[in-house]
Amino acid sequence: MKRIVDIGVLLSRGGMYAALSRASRDGVLRGVAEVNANPGLDLSFRVTERDPDGRLDRYAPLCREILRGSGVRHIFGCITSASRKEVIPELERFDGVLWYPVPYEGFEASERVAYMHACPNQHLLPLLDWALPTLGTRAYLVGSNYIWGWEMAQIAREKIAAAGGQVLGDRYLPIGDTELDHIIGDIRALKPSFILNSLVGDSSYAFLARLAQLKQEAEFADSLTVLSCNFTECEIEAAGEAAEGLVSAGPWFEPDGGGGGSFYEMARQSVHELARLLHGRPEAEELPLAELLHTALRAGRSTRLDPVHLHARQPAIIARLENGRFQEIRQLPVTRADPYLTQRSQPLHPGAHLKVVS
Amino acid sequence: MTRIRTENLGGATAWILHRPHPSVNGLVRQLGVIGLEVHEAWPELPSETIEADFIFYDADMGHDEQFPWAPGQSPMPMIALIGSEAPGRLRWAMQMGAHAQLLKPMSDKGVYAALLVARSNFDRANASDALIADLQSRLSARQTIVRAVMLFVMKGKTEAEAYDLLRQTAMAWRVTIEIAAERLVANHSHERGADDGRRIDPA
Repeated sequence: MKRIVDIGVLLSRGGMYAALSRASRDGVLRGVAEVNANPGLDLSFRVTERDPDGRLDRYAPLCREILRGSGVRHIFGCITSASRKEVIPELERFDGVLWYPVPYEGFEASERVAYMHACPNQHLLPLLDWALPTLGTRAYLVGSNYIWGWEMAQIAREKIAAAGGQVLGDRYLPIGDTELDHIIGDIRALKPSFILNSLVGDSSYAFLARLAQLKQEAEFADSLTVLSCNFTECEIEAAGEAAEGLVSAGPWFEPDGGGGGSFYEMARQSVHELARLLHGRPEAEELPLAELLHTALRAGRSTRLDPVHLHARQPAIIARLENGRFQEIRQLPVTRADPYLTQRSQPLHPGAHLKVVS
Repeated sequence: MTRIRTENLGGATAWILHRPHPSVNGLVRQLGVIGLEVHEAWPELPSETIEADFIFYDADMGHDEQFPWAPGQSPMPMIALIGSEAPGRLRWAMQMGAHAQLLKPMSDKGVYAALLVARSNFDRANASDALIADLQSRLSARQTIVRAVMLFVMKGKTEAEAYDLLRQTAMAWRVTIEIAAERLVANHSHERGADDGRRIDPA
């Protein structure tokens, strides 16, 4: 007989970044179904769900509602960093833990968040390590006008400067904004060797569409490679053919043409991670996250999360979108997260295994 | 501040001057997460802390004698750990030279910001101090320059020629005008003293 553990889900089914949050939500629910169907685990999850509908001001009250209205301690959710920062005070006040399975910009290590995707030493820095010698060193940066876009640009700027490259310009758009004339004008005039796209959702699709038009001009054919740390398989449909050629970095890409990408997969794996930590340990869900991890490690279990900063170990994979599928260009082995980039001066990993480099 | 992150905090050492107390745990944890090497001390900072990169000190129970340097003279950024916001305690914390502060109980919030703010304020204060010292020494050299110019004037030069001569002398000696003036004045006093034993102030 499985014991029941209540968990929360706080992911939007609509709004500006619905493609991302739906993939994440599908992954969580898939993970729950797998755990519940697994006779080898002594627990099953019961889901309490709230839909913030992509609206920032709804996250905190809904997070509170989940934590107060049920026996939930562990919530899976949030896409944007802005929403994550909204819910952290609620987690502190009502003793909750957020499982956050999407990429983010780093410089945070809350005791109440399990950072289950990747941070810049696991996505942006390996991506630039590939791009600068391969594509050239004249960069143009675009991003959504909030912390993800700003910090990705800031880290990129430092990395590019250190490599002797040049940031030709950076521009930010409000989330959802699709007014792109000035950005396309910039790119046409500046002819960068690559563009780092940290736009989210609809802005990103509109940008890719406009850029695809520009690339039809002979002068820009086969140039203007777009890089991203947040574009995954779950957005291919929304972006359409315009996304072709985009190079993305992340911990996981679909091997068989699936449509969820790492947003789906890391959400699914997060549910399994929690199930493994709670299996055979009644009431362990009440423990603070660090203690849950430390006790698991002492008992000889393995966990993906670092018990000190609560970020996941991840491989860094760089892949190019070709004919609607991400094709791996380079894979770096599993690396410890470095959320404050304090280990940056040290080599990423000895003996990094390089795959085919085009 | 665009290069704020190039100050790599990895491997930097931080000392925490606070009695053992649960309110410090969050700080120790967060410093470790950020990548610093953390040491704790109470009731005094050992002399080796002079090599530390950051000092966190208790503003509630602290006093001057705990530090191996004079108030406000720390050779590294200092961050006050504040529980009581009473004005007397805050005044002491500021006299010790707080470059940033954290409120107790310390949590996972604010530590990284305190490190960067403290280092920035410390660097700015040092740069200001160096600039002030330089300006002060130039200010006090002005009188010497006037005396050196007067030496040439007494030898029949116009003031403009005298000033030009002083500048040429400094260039020839490859020193600043202030130092050249100082030497000229010193040489002159020496000569006069050797000539007739009379001390005449050339200015």
